[in-house]
Amino acid sequence: MNLPKQTGIVIIGAGIQGLLLAAFLHELGRRDVLVLDAGYWEGGASGRNGTLVRGGFSSPEWAGLFQHSIDQWKTLSRRLGHNVMYTPRGYAIIAESEQSVDMLRTASKTHQSFSIPSTLMTPDALSKKIPALDANRISAAIYLDDGGTVPHHAVMKAALRACQDKAVPVHYGAAVTAVERTDGRVSGVWVGDHHVKAELTVVAAGGQSGDIAQMASVEIEASPFRIEACASEPVRPLIQQAIALVDRMTYLHQTARGEIVGGTELRGETAKRNLKSSEYVIPRYARNVVEIFPQTHDLRILRQWAGYLHPAPDGGPLLGPHPDVESLWFTAGWTYGIAGGPGAADLLSRAIVSGVTDTRMACFSVDRFRRGKPCIEASAVIDSASSAA
Amino acid sequence: MPGGLRLAHASDNKVGFRWNGSLLHGRKGDSIAAALHGAGIKTLAHSRKFHAPRGLSGSFVAGQLAQVEGTPHVRLDQTWLREGVNVVSQHSWPSPRFDVLSLSNLIPRKWLRAGFENPRFIRDGTRLWHLWEKALWHVAGEVDISRNPHGKQVEGLRIDVDVLVIGGGPAGIAAALAAKGNVLMVTRGRDLGGAVWETHAKPVELPKNITVRTEHEVFGLFKNGRVALSAPTAADRPAAVIHAKSVVLAIGKRSMPPPVAGADLPGVMDPHMAHHLAARHGVAPGQNILVVGTAQGRAVARGLKALGCNVVDFVDAARLTKITGRKCVEGAIIDGRTIRVDCIVHAGPYKTDPSLGFQAGADGDLRLLAGDMPSNVTLSGFATTPDERITVSQKPDRKALVCPCMDVTADEVFDLLDAGTTHLEELKRLTTCGMGPCQGFPCWFTLDAFCAAHTGEQQENQPLPTFRPPRRALTFGQAAGLSDLTEVDK
Repeated sequence: MNLPKQTGIVIIGAGIQGLLLAAFLHELGRRDVLVLDAGYWEGGASGRNGTLVRGGFSSPEWAGLFQHSIDQWKTLSRRLGHNVMYTPRGYAIIAESEQSVDMLRTASKTHQSFSIPSTLMTPDALSKKIPALDANRISAAIYLDDGGTVPHHAVMKAALRACQDKAVPVHYGAAVTAVERTDGRVSGVWVGDHHVKAELTVVAAGGQSGDIAQMASVEIEASPFRIEACASEPVRPLIQQAIALVDRMTYLHQTARGEIVGGTELRGETAKRNLKSSEYVIPRYARNVVEIFPQTHDLRILRQWAGYLHPAPDGGPLLGPHPDVESLWFTAGWTYGIAGGPGAADLLSRAIVSGVTDTRMACFSVDRFRRGKPCIEASAVIDSASSAA
Repeated sequence: MPGGLRLAHASDNKVGFRWNGSLLHGRKGDSIAAALHGAGIKTLAHSRKFHAPRGLSGSFVAGQLAQVEGTPHVRLDQTWLREGVNVVSQHSWPSPRFDVLSLSNLIPRKWLRAGFENPRFIRDGTRLWHLWEKALWHVAGEVDISRNPHGKQVEGLRIDVDVLVIGGGPAGIAAALAAKGNVLMVTRGRDLGGAVWETHAKPVELPKNITVRTEHEVFGLFKNGRVALSAPTAADRPAAVIHAKSVVLAIGKRSMPPPVAGADLPGVMDPHMAHHLAARHGVAPGQNILVVGTAQGRAVARGLKALGCNVVDFVDAARLTKITGRKCVEGAIIDGRTIRVDCIVHAGPYKTDPSLGFQAGADGDLRLLAGDMPSNVTLSGFATTPDERITVSQKPDRKALVCPCMDVTADEVFDLLDAGTTHLEELKRLTTCGMGPCQGFPCWFTLDAFCAAHTGEQQENQPLPTFRPPRRALTFGQAAGLSDLTEVDK
């Protein structure tokens, strides 16, 4: 491994956050960026997620950041020079309980004020869009026209290729083993016995971000949370859209290869720090899917796997500088990391280069909990945030 | 061999069924696969990208899948023939008889490498890209399930035992007989005895403490082997959660397909499949059979001969350099000389399926890696012997398929290696090798062997990709039936 002794910006983590941030910093003229990753390409959450993207959240903070990200998705392939396979095939947020229907009504108002293409639908109207679903089971839905999917293999390939095209050095299998602090600021990192001096260190290490923070003797209010997903055998298009079943904390979509891919989060499950899969998640996911899409009953499941979310108490990302030490920034705390990746990378890169922080990013500051300003989001299909809190 | 491939001991009871609309006849007690093979139908499926013929191999599951009475992806070798059953091959459009997709085998294979679906000429989220994606999607999915009858909920079972024995062959039976307390034996076979006792049927009297579940697969070991999940091959029967104090893996070994071009052709078979066809169904695997293998393979050649099959020769697996044929096996090249055969049975190198052992012992934060098996999980029988090494030629044939279900060529893998990608997890993701129905066994061993041959490294120098359940053993309906029988860790 040929690591430099000194660089301007070192990014820890070569997942979607780290790679896109590196590519965008290059666009803004920075030629001194180094990306380090402890694992292998697509080995982390960026290669294990459900690939669903949407901007339509119900709180102004989330809608602001994530709709900005959708705008970036629309042009990302051109910007990177490689097809990320973003497909705005539609995204349905489906409510069954009364409480969830109320949440959708609130979300719908937020979407109007942010000009997000969104329709509040009756079960009948939704079943015209998604004929496979059992409309009798559901109460209402929000349909987001520009939500959809981005296959992680395509995004991650495009992001890595873009960095390679621009000669941004990206090293996998390069675990940061220590973070150097000098006079109240982070001044570099150690990869084993190799020292890299850096003006700015950005932590984009997914579930491992807290470990890196600890190396710099600071804390972040987010912790890794293992969730599980599975893929079915391929069938012809049955479900065109990305689907979130909010009451069941279940999400799914059908890939371009025909596999139905999705997962379920379980209320109150203990957080675990390993990638083993369990015996109890897939049965609950399968029940949720079969009840809404009964045609899947005899479809066979190919594989299941686990990956980490990194939820903060409100489930929103931690973006920007750490308040307790200089020159250490974060893009961590992700639960909707694939959806928010390009938006966050765009805002962060501009903040790093210009020194001016966009308001859509500022509300997700690392110290927001300390300031008593969390970004509560009602339509997020996650429970780990509350259990991590 | 009068009457085609049927052997003298085959049943005389004929059973009529439909294959792509044509009326064919099998025999009573046949699997659908055996009935088709016995009727001379060797191509049971076509691969997804190259549209190349695939048959009954025992190794490459995609070649053994078809629609049965409208249900997609049914394993023909695990489904019993019924009078009048309607079987339709998959991955053809608009129909198996008039199949426009067959034109895709005219496309150069280099153009169809993984990632071909996001071509360089359509770079962004344009309308053209969306149309292209829809077209691909339609082709890739193979089968339409939108009008499938909705199955009834199959409630699962919970079983508590002292000892779970996985595998119904001689080693499994011996382990069950030696075990104390309540014993559950689970086997994928229709009855006990595995491949060995089919020929020398030895009725086995089991004591009352042993329960047997046949035609079931234990596909997952969780919580360090204390919880197992199993499912029957028939989708309308319940899956089970098994809590066992100890687990015996009497799972034997499987023969690795030859790492040469043509090994994906219909007519190349593993010894289990060949033996099963001949012994149980009275169907010869081919008119002229060549057995290639390691030292243990001689017994397979002898066994097939004893069953009345025409075995023309046995040769060491390392001497086979190519399998020839257009739609099925027509010959084998041994030491530069062509032997004309229509069937090649490979009997070695043998390896044990690592899936369950891996799941029981694996751990990791950045990557799931094999660990020591927990003390309550033990191997037994053939599975305890060391795995045999795959011999790849020093100049491997770039046309050979590393993963026939997903159409991954050695050429594609070598180009990635040359470009600097050597991590097996990355090669898996970039090529989709092992992401089909086998989920990596045998194909990740083949991938590793080809990589080692190309780079000059040792085989298994780096860990194989993660082995993941349930490897198509479980349907959504069966899984749903387990949801109240498993407990969430809180």
